This record gives sequence, structure tokens and C-alpha cells, in this order.
Amino acid sequence: MSLPLGHALRPGPLERALRSGLVLYIVLLVAVPLLALGYVGLADGPVQFWDRVTAPVARSAVVLTLWTALLVGVIDTLVGTAIAWVLVRYPLTGRSVLSAMVDLPLAVPTLVAGVMLAILYGPTSVVGERFGLWGIEIVFARPGIVLALLFVTLPFVVRAVEPVLAELDPAEEEAAIVLGAGPLKTFVTVFLPALLPAALSGGMRSLGRALGEFGSIIVVAGNIPLATLTAPVFIFGEIESGAPRVAAAVSTVILLFALAAYAGARLIEQRTGARRATS
Amino acid sequence: MVHPCRDLQPPGIVGPFGHGEARHGPCSPPTPVNDHHLLSAPAWCAWLLLVLVLVLVGVGEGCSPIDDAAAGGDARSITLGAYTTPAAAYGTSLLPAFRRHEQERSGHDVTVRESYLASGAQARAILGGFEADVAALSHEPDIEKLRAAGLVTHDWKAGAHGGMVTRSVVVIGVREGNPKGIHQWQDLARPGIEVLTPNVRTSGGAMWNVLAIYGAAIRGHAGTPRGDQDAAIGLLAGILRNVKIMDRGARDSMLTFERGVGDAIITYENEILVGRADGKRYDYVAPRSTVLIENPIALVDAHVDQHGSREVTQALVEFLFTPEAQRLYAQHGLRPVVEDVADEVADRFVPVEDLFTVHDLGGWPRMQQVVFDEGGVYSRALDQSRGAAQ
Repeated sequence: MSLPLGHALRPGPLERALRSGLVLYIVLLVAVPLLALGYVGLADGPVQFWDRVTAPVARSAVVLTLWTALLVGVIDTLVGTAIAWVLVRYPLTGRSVLSAMVDLPLAVPTLVAGVMLAILYGPTSVVGERFGLWGIEIVFARPGIVLALLFVTLPFVVRAVEPVLAELDPAEEEAAIVLGAGPLKTFVTVFLPALLPAALSGGMRSLGRALGEFGSIIVVAGNIPLATLTAPVFIFGEIESGAPRVAAAVSTVILLFALAAYAGARLIEQRTGARRATS
Repeated sequence: MVHPCRDLQPPGIVGPFGHGEARHGPCSPPTPVNDHHLLSAPAWCAWLLLVLVLVLVGVGEGCSPIDDAAAGGDARSITLGAYTTPAAAYGTSLLPAFRRHEQERSGHDVTVRESYLASGAQARAILGGFEADVAALSHEPDIEKLRAAGLVTHDWKAGAHGGMVTRSVVVIGVREGNPKGIHQWQDLARPGIEVLTPNVRTSGGAMWNVLAIYGAAIRGHAGTPRGDQDAAIGLLAGILRNVKIMDRGARDSMLTFERGVGDAIITYENEILVGRADGKRYDYVAPRSTVLIENPIALVDAHVDQHGSREVTQALVEFLFTPEAQRLYAQHGLRPVVEDVADEVADRFVPVEDLFTVHDLGGWPRMQQVVFDEGGVYSRALDQSRGAAQ
């Protein structure tokens, strides 16, 4: 017996049950906790909310988290694209090993990543001591925060750009060269339009991930209020000291920025999807 | 009936989330979704599944791990909710000694389940449903939280020694041979000295540290005029400016120091003594004036009555105040509260010229308000330290 056309569009009872079950799953797992967070954050009214978020220590923590995440997003977009380029275009020996290493930061618990960095770059390590002589502090200072974030967000852009590069039709590149375009022009006219959306959306995901990073940061940052205390570590401290509303208020702010970053990533993906379909 | 959580309960350490983690209200209805097909008849299968899960979780929550003789009132099992500093003291010395003691006294075996968390986190876990029979915490305010919630109903400070089972002092740990010549609180404010102290928002130990500095300054023993609040804030700001890392708790801070970071660490005397007994090579100094740390212990009335474990828990608390137990505490670097034992082991601890208590400063509620609340001494010192640094 053959299935009628459009079978997929008219689900049977079992599929419908499965579908509503999954919708329920997402709602209970993600939406309900997020709403609860926003509810607790705003429980004492918007004025209180604003006061809590703009108190000096909270504000400095949010600002630090935002600019480090933004910086990391930009660096990841540039360096991640370059790494993907190298991985796809050049027949490196041990490429599969290198490629696996790119994913490693996702597998390593971030707390372990932090301990690793603290051991390697800490003021008592060989590397840290040398930098210390030059007056540069890495761990327990802001560079340590950026370093830890770069580590944990490495895969996002690389993995977003890689498949795009791999699937690019070599005919386009050949055509550009045959028509007399130099390497730079070839890159700008052929590669860039294809890569840019993937690189940007990967960068947005890096940024979103960086906003929430806690495990590695609490080890490497030093966590000094008004100096090296990031928003996630601040939130942790507020929970620990029995101020869940302050924690929820600052969490809500960070969450909004993360949502904006992910929405940006989705938007870029959808736009390019549409452009691909029409071109 | 077989309790399903009997098998789920891990032996030994009971985390604060061992039970009660699913303590939500009844399942709220789902957010309405536009598609009206969503809740067609078969969809109830999904709902049924969900309800089933909730029921199972609910059963798991309902049974307490210690209900052996809830009605009889002679349970032989105790749950201890403690802070992390004395974990080794309880685990390796005091609780085994208590079990032997009970065995001889009544011929019964007693089991003690132990949970160790940072003091504030432990207090919150107990408030959130962790059914500890006895709470041994870092400082008075954490026990007071349990009293305010109605879990501790007796006057826990009425007993001998005011409900305080151990003591310690806040000292300054320095590198071997004290190369930077650190002796007093004001030395920690010198430029170029790197200091470690944990975050007051997460660590009870850090609060003791701040009180030690503030108290010494306000009493005129730290290079500041007596009773001069601004000078005390200035000293605190100077020290905070030199703080490179604020770890989560006293233990983490000590580990950072042991990794070689920092010139000095402000910490409990017992942390240093235990480390040195362990072969770690660092020295410590007691400043001229510092605070006497007093760690409280209290039986949690609501839980012992529920578990029927009042008698055995009371026996444990009383045991901890015996000379035998107090000597064991001293072996782990904690100062005994019982006078005779304190005299006996006095040579193990450095003398302090001006040892003051929180009571001398006006008591915990007042210190909470003056020092730790928003706009208090600590937050002003913090602002001042960063303002001058930038």
C-alpha cells in the first residue's frame, strides 16, 4: 500500500502525540524556567529591577561581560574563518587531528579549561613569570578572561564556516580566475559573500556562549568586584549570599543580550537561506 | 511498602539535593499553543506520561531517608549538615569517636550521614528542605536563619559556651621565612603586596576576615586612631586594593595560596595549622589584634522531631562538648571552647595581644548592618579601593 501524497503534512494520531509531547518538552525545559527567571527578576517592580542592575558592582560586572564577549565574538569571527579556510583548502598532514582539536573545547569541562589556563599562564608558571617581568598580567586579570572565552568558543565559527567552504562550487572560483580576477578580487567576489553569513552567525553564537561562561572564568578571572568580576560570577555570588532577586535581575539582562545574539544569528541564517533559494 | 528512594539514596554523603529537588508546585498548565490539534485525544498519551513522571518524582520526594523509627522516637541515625572547614575533623576523628562512645553507652550502632558545604550554602540547603538533624556552621547568622524559619525552635545559645563548639582566630599566612616582613594588618596595605582573601558574598570565612581587619582598626591596633570609622575603611580599602583573587571560599583561597600565588593570605588559623601539619611550607603571623572566631552548632528541632532522632542527636551535640571531643578538634587546628582543654593545648596556638569577639564589636546583627549591608563599611572600602586604583 502506498501512502497518499501530502502524508507528511497530515500527521496521524501517533505523530501528533509525539509532536505535542516534544513541544511540551521544549516548553517545560526552556520556556518555563526562562519565564520564571524573568518573573523573579521583575517581582519587585521595574524601579527595583533597574536599581539592582545599575548598582556599581552589578553594572561593572555586566559591562565587563558585554565587552569581553563582544571582543571574543569579533576575534572568533576573523580567526575562526581563517582556521576553517586552512582546514578545508590546504592538504595539511594531520588535518583530522587538528580538526578534532577544534572541537575539544566543547568536550573539556570549562572548569578544567580554567584550571589548565591558570596552571599554564599563572603568575608562578614559566610563561606567566616571563610576561610578569614585562608587566603583563594574564591570569587573574582581564586578558585571562578573554583567553578563557576564546578557548571555550573556538569551535563555533570554524564549524559554521567549514561546510560552506567545502560545498562551494570550484567552478565559480575557476571562472573568476579565468576572467582575470586577482586573488583578492576572487576572495571578495566569490568567497566572501558565501562565507560572511556563516562567519557572522557563528560569531553571534560565540558571543552568546561567552556571555554565560562561568566555569573557566571563576578560576582565571580573580573575581575582584569593579575590576575582574564578570556577570555570571557576580550572579553566583548573589545566589550564594541569599540575594536571589538581584541574581535574577542581572541574569535577565544577560539573558536578553544572549537572546539578541542568537536571534541575530538566526536572522542571518534565514536571510542567506532565502538568498540562496532565489539565486 | 518498599520506599523507592531507599535504592536511590547514595550511601555516605548526602548532598543538599538528595531529596526535595523536585519540590515544585503542582504542574501548571502548559502555555497555550495556537495549533488546536495539539491536544487531540492521543496527545493525552503524552500528558499521561508526564503525569506519571511527576507522580514518580513525587513519591521519591515524599519518603524521607530516615524514617526508620519516626513513630518510636529512637532512631539511631543522624544527618549532619556542616560547613567545610571541620570536614576532616568530623569525618576522621569526631564521628568515629562518637560511634564508639554510643556503642559503649547504649550498645547500639549509630550511623551519621555527613554533608559538607560552604556555611551559607549549607544553611540555604537546610532551609530548602535538606533534613539535617544537626547544623554545624561557620557563624551565628547562618544558624539564626534556621531559627527565623522555625526549624530551630529552642534557645540554642542557652547551653554551655553559648552554643559555640569550636574557636579559631583570623591570621595572616605568609611565605616561608616571611620574606616581605608582614606582621600587622597595615602591612597588607603596603604597595606591591599581593593578598588573598575569599569573596564575602560566598564565604563565611571572608566575613570573619573583614571583621578582623575592621575590628582591629576600630580598636586602634592597626595603625589607625581608635574609633575612627573612616580610617578603618581606609585601611580595608588599602588591603582590598592589594587583593588579586577572591576565591569562592576559604579552602579554595588556601589552595590558590598553596599553588604559589600571593604574598599573604588572610585565613583561619586552623587552615594554616592543618596545612603545616601536612608538610606544607609556609609560615603565619597573628596580628596584634584579631577576631576570635566562634563556630556554632545547633540541633534542628523540626527535623529531629520528624525523624524521631532527638535523643541520639542530643547525645552527639553533648559529646562534642566533652574534653575528649574538644581534644580531637584541637588536633585538627581548632581552638577548644572548654577551658581545661584550652589550657592543655594552649602551646599549640599563637597568643594574640588583643583578641576581641563579634560581641565586643556590637554583635552580629549590628555588624551585618554596619559592615556588610549595601552602603556599609565593606562596599565603601571596595569603592574606595577601585577608585584609587584607576
